[in-house]
Amino acid sequence: MTRSARARLTTVVLYVVFAAIVAAFALVADWEAISRNFFLAEGFSGNWQAMVFTGVKNTILYTIISFTGGFVLAVILVLMRLAPIAPFRWLSLAYIELFRGLPALVVILFMALGVPIAFGWRPPGGTIGAGLVALMMVAGAYMAETLRAGIEAVPKGQTEAARSLGMGGGWTMASIVMPQALRIVVPPLTNELVILLKDTSLLFVVGLATSQKELTTLSRDFMSSGPSAGTATSLTLAALLYLAITLPLTRLVAWMESKQKRSR
Amino acid sequence: MNIRSLYAATAAAGLVLTLAACGSDDSNGSGDGDASGLDLVTDGTLTVCSDVPYAPFEDFDESSPSGFTGFDIDIVQAIADGLELDLVVKDSSFDGLQSGLALNAGDCDLAASAMTITEERKANLAFSEGYYDSLQSLLVPADSGIASIADLEGKRVGVQQGTTGEAYANENVSGAEIVSFPSDAELYQALQAGQVDALLQDLPVNLTHTTDGRYTIVEEYDTDETYGLAMKKDNTALVEAVNEQLAALRDSGEYDELYDTYFSEEAAQDAAESSDG
Repeated sequence: MTRSARARLTTVVLYVVFAAIVAAFALVADWEAISRNFFLAEGFSGNWQAMVFTGVKNTILYTIISFTGGFVLAVILVLMRLAPIAPFRWLSLAYIELFRGLPALVVILFMALGVPIAFGWRPPGGTIGAGLVALMMVAGAYMAETLRAGIEAVPKGQTEAARSLGMGGGWTMASIVMPQALRIVVPPLTNELVILLKDTSLLFVVGLATSQKELTTLSRDFMSSGPSAGTATSLTLAALLYLAITLPLTRLVAWMESKQKRSR
Repeated sequence: MNIRSLYAATAAAGLVLTLAACGSDDSNGSGDGDASGLDLVTDGTLTVCSDVPYAPFEDFDESSPSGFTGFDIDIVQAIADGLELDLVVKDSSFDGLQSGLALNAGDCDLAASAMTITEERKANLAFSEGYYDSLQSLLVPADSGIASIADLEGKRVGVQQGTTGEAYANENVSGAEIVSFPSDAELYQALQAGQVDALLQDLPVNLTHTTDGRYTIVEEYDTDETYGLAMKKDNTALVEAVNEQLAALRDSGEYDELYDTYFSEEAAQDAAESSDG
């Protein structure tokens, strides 16, 4: 057999194997059970309104609140991290290491249930307020590191040139370095946004009133009540709704990254 | 063969083997080969799913052979003994249990998790005969001034998500914010943290929170609820076997012994409290 004939044969065999794998999955799966448990038509038609108008609405709202709060916190943290006074740097580093090292769920539980017991102080907004503060604290730690990487990626010559023109340190940071750094960190920050959006599902643990429920909590409710009770149809619906939000965002990140690469 | 197609072929072969393994696993699992004639997830073992902790029905206990303790656990241990099966208990989420997903997915043979028998759940689950009659109850801080469900206006009431207590609160509590939590662990923490003003849930579970005197039960609600052991809908052989064992436990007096272990003292305390109030 010649080299090219052998290569062709290999290709054919691989296609056959691929088709066999697909066919095997299709044959082994219990389609009837799958459609009954995950794709019940009544569940989709009966639940989608609550899922969109309460679940998606709250999920997006919680994401925006915790992202905004987290970003403000991250800017403060990164300025402390780059500060000339050492204790500020230590404090910032300690905070970042602590909150990057803890699972978000633990931080949420601690803020909503631990802090009030320990200090007799309840974060504003009830349990959901406490949960959102916890998400901000975690997101802030991650975003501070992203911002730092962005700032450090701005060529040192930019600062030197600005300073030699007589600009002050703070002014250089605000008008020369930060704008360039932000452009660099937009794709990773968008990734952070997507992660945060998914992390709002952890808020179920703090206790939510009916009107406060986000997508995951609501879909868990609909596993036991309403038209699709006793099935996981509401989970399927929640998954589709999450994808409807996250896929455009992740595609946007990919597009921005390729654009950034081209512009270099 | 170049190196890339070698990788692809290896990966493909691996997948095919995995699939083949799945297939053969399946046929073993559904076989009626074991001595008891029951269709079990693992031959010779009664695999029970339970949402732990939910004292006094289920709790962790390293000293017990299954690693768990509680009224439900003792009942299923007695059933497993009667059927000459080993008992394995898996800690699961209540959502998965009461929706039937854990059973349908083959995680376990039986769900024993203080689960009330309801018409809605019967659509997807087979239940044993009832083995425990439960009441709902309202737990509040002893100094709260809340005396009944009517005093909850403007308050926050904690319930467990997906339970009959949540349904009862939604129907009968007016003007209060009903906040649902995943389990009693978070509920009790939230009450201590002041995030909620009261808990509405199964009486025996609320009772465990009254022992140190900081919290008290102000009302009980008879909702005609009975707990049942849940099984996969088509597993009639197991349902029959479990019912036979439950009947035998009641006949032999073993059921009463188990019941007294967990509920006699509390029952007395409960009577004292309701005469006080």
